[in-house]
Formats: sequence, C-alpha cells, structure tokens
Amino acid sequence: MSIEANTNLDNSRGKVFFKRKKSCPLSEEASPEIDYKDIELLKKFISERGKILPRRITSVSSKKQRELSAAIKKARVLALLPYVDNN
Amino acid sequence: MPFYETTLIIRPEATQQEADKIADNFSAIATEKGGKLVKKEYWGLRSLAYKIDKSKKGHYYMLGLDASSDAISEITRIAGISEDVMRNLNVKVEAISKEPSPVLREASK
Repeated sequence: MSIEANTNLDNSRGKVFFKRKKSCPLSEEASPEIDYKDIELLKKFISERGKILPRRITSVSSKKQRELSAAIKKARVLALLPYVDNN
Repeated sequence: MPFYETTLIIRPEATQQEADKIADNFSAIATEKGGKLVKKEYWGLRSLAYKIDKSKKGHYYMLGLDASSDAISEITRIAGISEDVMRNLNVKVEAISKEPSPVLREASK
C-alpha cells in the first residue's frame, strides 16, 4: 500500500494530487449524483491537461468510475470540458 | 413516454430571441408527436471549451422532454441539418429533475 501511495509523487502528470482515501468519494451518502452537466464535480476528476484521472489516484469505485467516464465524455461533446487542454 | 434531455448549442451570431425561437421549434417537433415540454433552460452565451465551427461561444439551451423515440430521432435529424445548431446531444433519462441544472448554479455564484 505504501508503494502505491508514492505513485502520487512520482508519475502523475497532472498537478492535482489527492490524498489516498480508503473509500470512494462518490459512494458516500451525501455525495452528489454524477451528471454530465455538473462541471464542477467533473473537474475534480480530470487532470490539468483534461485527461480522465485513473482510479488508483482518485480512489473511486469501479462502477462510479464508469459513470464518471461516460459523463465526462458527454460533457466533452457539449464543449463543457475540453478534450485536450494545453494551457 | 420516456424522458429525454436535449441540449443544443446555437450559433453565437444569433440574438437571444432568435435562438429562443430555434429552441422552441425543436420542442414543437416533440409536442406535435404527442410529447410534452417539461423543462426549458437557457444557460447563456457561454464560452466553449474548444472552437466549434471557428466560434468560441454559443447559446446553450437545455430542453427536458417527455417524448416518443421517433420525435427524438426527428430532432436529431433536423438538428444535424440545421445551420444554426452547432451541436446537439440527446440523452435518455429516467426522470427530469425539477431543480435548475448545476450550470445555472455556478453562473449565479
């Protein structure tokens, strides 16, 4: 487990670091529904470049990761999120 | 009948009234076939995350419709042909929420 915690420091291309939570941040009771229109929620799960962050960094459950991924792709079609963000 | 959320991005050159009429035309396609317009939202003249047809902004309209699937395929077809509509996305949903979309919440902040 400690080796995995270090990958946050070495290989992440984005500058967004999350503490390694033990549970999925979207599966708690008070967490919001995943909606392709909720850009603020989705922005937490994409990197600086606009790429979708892997589960091992965000600790999302696999079911929620699939829903997130589908929502992010819909938001990209609607130009609410970029496909690639080179700023 | 199933619920759909239709989001349209209309050219920025159109004024808001013209864009409103265009959005109403699309909801009329659904109501003609026995559907209902449950929700209509205008998200404003937003900046796009990337250029579409060389424009950086667009009028966003979100329509919540209770319509049949042929109405939706008709909307998709006409939106694709229409020169004013740059993008459209039709999503089938289980229920249309009565609260305003998160996009409007952040606009009001």
